[in-house]
Amino acid sequence: MSGYTEGILILLCINAIAAMGVSLLTGFTGIFSLGHAAYMALGAYTTAILTVQHGIHWLPAILLGGVVAVAVAYFIGVPTLKLMGDYYAIASIGLGEAIRLILENWQSVTRGARGYPGIDPYTTLPVALAFFVVLAAFMFNLINSRFGRACKACRDDYIASSLLGFHTARIRVLSLMISAFYCGVSGALLGGFLSFIQPVMFDMLKSTELTAVVVFGGLGSMSGSILGTAVITLVTELFRPISQYRMLIYGAVLVVIMVLRPEGIMGNREFLSWVKAPFRRRA
Amino acid sequence: MSAFFELSGVTKNFGGVQAVSKMTFSMEKGELAGLMGPNGAGKTTIFNLVTGVYDPDEGSILFKGENLVPLKTYQVTARGVARTFQNLRLFQRSTVLENVMTAAQHHVPYSFIEGITHLGRWRSGEKAIRDKSMALLERVGLADRAEQAAGTLPYGHQRRLEIARALALDPELLLLDEPAAGMNAEEVTSLNVLIREIHRDFGLTTLVIEHHMDLVMEICPHIICMNFGAKIAEGTPDEIQNHPEVLKAYLGEEEDE
Amino acid sequence: MRADLRSPSSIRERGDPSLATLIQQVINGLSLGSVYALIAVGYSLVYSILLFSNFAHGGFLVIGGYICYGTLRTFGTGIWMSGALALAGAGLAAVLTERLAYRPIRERTNVTLYLLIASMGMSIVIENIFVIVAGGRFRALPPVIPTAPVNLMGLATTSAFDLLSLVSAVVFLGALQLFLSKTRWGLAIRAAAYDLRTAGLMGVNVNLLISIVFFVAGALAAVGGIFLSVRYTLYPQLGAITIKAFVAAVIGGLGSLPGAVVGSLILGLAEMLTAGFISSQMRDLVVFSMLVITLLVKPTGLFGKSVSEKV
Repeated sequence: MSGYTEGILILLCINAIAAMGVSLLTGFTGIFSLGHAAYMALGAYTTAILTVQHGIHWLPAILLGGVVAVAVAYFIGVPTLKLMGDYYAIASIGLGEAIRLILENWQSVTRGARGYPGIDPYTTLPVALAFFVVLAAFMFNLINSRFGRACKACRDDYIASSLLGFHTARIRVLSLMISAFYCGVSGALLGGFLSFIQPVMFDMLKSTELTAVVVFGGLGSMSGSILGTAVITLVTELFRPISQYRMLIYGAVLVVIMVLRPEGIMGNREFLSWVKAPFRRRA
Repeated sequence: MSAFFELSGVTKNFGGVQAVSKMTFSMEKGELAGLMGPNGAGKTTIFNLVTGVYDPDEGSILFKGENLVPLKTYQVTARGVARTFQNLRLFQRSTVLENVMTAAQHHVPYSFIEGITHLGRWRSGEKAIRDKSMALLERVGLADRAEQAAGTLPYGHQRRLEIARALALDPELLLLDEPAAGMNAEEVTSLNVLIREIHRDFGLTTLVIEHHMDLVMEICPHIICMNFGAKIAEGTPDEIQNHPEVLKAYLGEEEDE
Repeated sequence: MRADLRSPSSIRERGDPSLATLIQQVINGLSLGSVYALIAVGYSLVYSILLFSNFAHGGFLVIGGYICYGTLRTFGTGIWMSGALALAGAGLAAVLTERLAYRPIRERTNVTLYLLIASMGMSIVIENIFVIVAGGRFRALPPVIPTAPVNLMGLATTSAFDLLSLVSAVVFLGALQLFLSKTRWGLAIRAAAYDLRTAGLMGVNVNLLISIVFFVAGALAAVGGIFLSVRYTLYPQLGAITIKAFVAAVIGGLGSLPGAVVGSLILGLAEMLTAGFISSQMRDLVVFSMLVITLLVKPTGLFGKSVSEKV
């Protein structure tokens, strides 16, 4: 396998992990966030600092990166998740930008806007695949459990949900924390892949890309989000010669999907249900 | 000795409008009662006050001796109160079965870790939730539509689904908000039968809101009648039918047309 | 944020805690705030009718800036003509955006999430059309808007530009106020802001009303865009500054027009006072902190409408 193909596969794994996190939050719990790249940034920077400056092994460092993202998500999530709809989206933009600005300006720790170089390239293909497979397994299990149903209930009708006994605020926070963990790990893996990270890599454009991928795949379909990631990552690579059009295409994809097929590629179905359908002939 | 379910002097104002005024009534365990009144009388507001959607300005709401007023909505549900909605609040995109399972899962706990690993009690838990939900769907006659999206059901079936979902909470007090709204005479009759059966088989204390006289008069031995937020009459169907205030509230409306 | 390329005196006096600086920064703040107001009001107007945040609003700003620049440069028309063309162009672009992207979604579903995402997409599309067509260079508008220093009664020096943008904002917002309070369509818009569906049932042509609202919003954004392109030079990502107008609208209360104005002025002042007395880096951080604080303390802002659901 060539280095180039290997690189694409690694990138696929990294993007898919983040996409799964955002899918849980937006597709399954109905929380529209435009600041999720910030959690990737937190994971990336935490892991970079731990591995480069403190010589900690990448495995615990990546997990700690995820933990830091979760902690921040908890502290800012608890007060802000009371907001619904547009208000939360705006808050997430503000928080995402604020985190990016802090990272840019806290030069002593993060080396500022110039970026953080010299990260050990620990994200090899086996590593990326392993993280992807394990995290995907957990995520699919999660949505096929009572927690998954609880998230969907909060998404579809939060008033009915609370009247059906769900502590909607707690479910939303938990969903945010899990999505932050996934994004944090994804960011940490990204740092280990590029050996270099910069705050501008985690700006609103990146957050929008995460959302676009989930929308494209289908809000409420985890396999759709993974499929969407694959499509968009591959298309990005194909369009690299004309990368100035890349953003234009993202934007257009978002609009076109919302107008023509808001349910995305897969709607709210999963791959498995297509496979199982012929076998499902119950009375 | 306090009753099973009791409202005392409950009052609620919205801005300048008095939606509920010094409402007082009680129900014994296992009763089937009806809450009647013309549109806008405040009936749904009572349900909202009981379930914690609104806080009353005055008064108390006692259930099994505990005051529900300081509790949050999900806590009220946990105490054993379930309700359906006037305008239906199903999870439209989910299947019929999933709607009920979402409610049924409360009484079949397994931990978060078991949830993400699918180990331990996940399998047996999911089976229990599913079996219980299917049983309830059988009860309301929707078992054959279990995998259909809830939003695609005919209206009458959606109402039954909501009842099944409420029952999945294993409640001790069931609040039905206009379960017959939008139904034709035939559907109302079969709904009557269903409600009576559920009340009998589950031994549930049930309070039904309706503003059509037929449903309530036929099945509820105890009726509370409201108008403009206040109680205007309480008693058996015969007593209510001939009560001057009730007649004024209903006929008085028609006279103005 | 991009460097402030106007008068060098503002750079010299930064950090000098004198009364002159204070007055200067207050005027700067009001001037910036008034430009924000033009943008925030349009955004809040759309929100009050459709109850969704049009993230593409910044795109109209950019369109206005480029049309003005283009006509000034290419056709040599005067500022008045260019300005008018920019307003019309941006207004039309807004109407088109609504027709193409939002109306189909609006007609099919009432899930505002889809509109939010579509607006995000449109914002990216518009910005990147200009990246491709006009290139990412910073362009300075031909100096048709006076930027000469003006001495205020010996108390402080400001630039004619600041005064001009303040005055223009007042004029345009005043015109909007007149439109809303004295014309039939203005009345229809106010009714629709209260309850769109009922306004429709009362005979208002809802689609036409929404188009008018978008036109007005786009035109106002264009005025803001022209002034911003003088202040910060013109480039495709200039629309990103709309996020500050969003913040202003939220602080003032989403859906409230007076709120948008007040919020904008507060924000402009906060930004300029921070830049003048603390540091320029902290400007944006202060803006976002104010946003977060508002959302935590009183999400509906100073004058906003809270939409509660009927159970």
